[in-house]
Amino acid sequence: MSDKEKIYQENLNRYVTAMNVGKPDRVPIRLQLSEFMAKHAGFTLQEIYYDMNKNFAAASKVLTDFEMDVLFCPPSVWWATPHDAVGAKYYKFSGWELEENRQFQYVEEEYMLAEDYDKFIADPTKWILNVYLPRLHSEFAEPGSYRANIALIKGAAATVMFNGANQQAGAMWAKEFGVPLGIGGFGKAPFDTLGDTLRGLHGIMMDLHKRPDKVLAALDVLIGHNIFFALATAGGDTTLPTFMPLHRGSYPFLNRKQWDNFYWPSLKAVIEALWAQGKRTLFYAEGNWTPYLESIAELPEKSIVFHVDQTDMAKAKEIMGGKFCLSGNVPNTLMAYGKPEEVKEYVKRLLDQYARDGGFIMDLAGVAQTDLKAENVEALIEATRQYGVY
Amino acid sequence: MAKLSDQLASAMAELEDDRVLNLIKERLQAGTSPLEIVRSLQEGMTEVGSRFETGEYFLSELVLCGQVMKDAMAELEPHLAGENQEYRGNIVIGTVRGDVHDLGKNIVVMLLKGAGYNVIDLGVDVPAEKFVQAIKESNAPMVGMSVLLTGCQDGMKNTIEAVREIGNKVTVVIGGNYVDETVRNYVGADYFATNASEAVKIAEKIFTTK
Repeated sequence: MSDKEKIYQENLNRYVTAMNVGKPDRVPIRLQLSEFMAKHAGFTLQEIYYDMNKNFAAASKVLTDFEMDVLFCPPSVWWATPHDAVGAKYYKFSGWELEENRQFQYVEEEYMLAEDYDKFIADPTKWILNVYLPRLHSEFAEPGSYRANIALIKGAAATVMFNGANQQAGAMWAKEFGVPLGIGGFGKAPFDTLGDTLRGLHGIMMDLHKRPDKVLAALDVLIGHNIFFALATAGGDTTLPTFMPLHRGSYPFLNRKQWDNFYWPSLKAVIEALWAQGKRTLFYAEGNWTPYLESIAELPEKSIVFHVDQTDMAKAKEIMGGKFCLSGNVPNTLMAYGKPEEVKEYVKRLLDQYARDGGFIMDLAGVAQTDLKAENVEALIEATRQYGVY
Repeated sequence: MAKLSDQLASAMAELEDDRVLNLIKERLQAGTSPLEIVRSLQEGMTEVGSRFETGEYFLSELVLCGQVMKDAMAELEPHLAGENQEYRGNIVIGTVRGDVHDLGKNIVVMLLKGAGYNVIDLGVDVPAEKFVQAIKESNAPMVGMSVLLTGCQDGMKNTIEAVREIGNKVTVVIGGNYVDETVRNYVGADYFATNASEAVKIAEKIFTTK
């Protein structure tokens, strides 16, 4: 076994032990550094969105300069090129729709209309192919046409190329740096699929009042789809968690009754089905989830890693400690505007209060952007190494 | 929860959309002034804002409220032509350069309108010059800047500097999920708000002291 292979095994064991709510030799560091990696490596955001090699090179530069146990994922989880090739309308990418150093953006609209519910519920795949794809992609405008068929081939080929390149990059980071990836595949809450991607905020909120039965029926058909998507994007891996960024379930989007009836049952079903197949979920709770902690704690032990953004950390520890691994909580504004000593002090306190009995992963509260300071990343790592030893 | 004596205000607060529209039609037929009807609707919206603040209403109710108000105003629009609406003052608002998120901003706009302000909404991805121009034209004493992406906070600092150069003492309020005292201090804003009812309270403070 080479040195790097040995380090890889140690890093992976440390990470998995923490996710199993155990006590590794020290607190693992898994930072969602995202677009910061591009800035640090001297690339524009346009370059990392469009050029996969530069996207991977940015992560390699970060792994060279900072000692992390786990690479959350490469800076860009998108490859913008195929989006352009099929004329996708829902993302704006840097370099032509935005300035070259602007963060990509999602353009939220009611891409599924209220009158689409029945057809969606009856056969979601058929509806996606015949209605949704043509509506959102200029190249699919006429289903069955030569252009639309070519667009399907382009989309499928690009997906295979993208997944293959990502797998190769993962193997390269393991071999050259001894660092495993932090996630294996992507998942979504059914309510977010319906509420973010399909109906948009305005649409879904109106539906809750105007057509609640259709919402429930649509969530029901999405459960199976979202379980499959998480497993398929993981390519069979069950060591790493599925990355599930969660949106509309954070406080105060939905009232308690709506959360209990519309958000939670379908999400719980997805997480439990994944866990039954050995696949853990990184419950990436963006925003504040404090009022819902007790419901979330009903999930099977170890089935999630609960990520803290603006959720009350003390309550999360009290309700979930010992049952699920916790991650996150270091404020992004502190990392952008604070001084290294302030970051160290924060990290020390976080570890003292919440990591003493294991089951903890060091990370930022939210996904990083280019405003992070490199010296604060250094300070966070140094302090974790100093105070996070068991 | 406050009980509203006016039926229309109460229907608005309870978000009973059909009842709101029926009452508007009835009152127009009975010869009630359209501006008085608007005042009842605003009274109802203010109550919706307070219910959000006390945790009785959530964003789902605010979005519904926005739709009920929109439908109500569509009904009233033809009757409002030629009427001189009185406002409590002008407020310029927009999402800063580089950011296209507007869900939070739109809710703030709705509640500010409901509270009786004339809101000049510049939309999303708004460059500094557009903020400056709108403030000069309207002579607004308050400007709201919305930002979700932390990477766009730096650009907000430049926008605020440009606004300060006008020299007419406009109060700058910033809002967004990742906005806090550190960010307020860094970008040089006067206030920060992380939810819509805080924004309305800050406006109240600004307009009673100006």
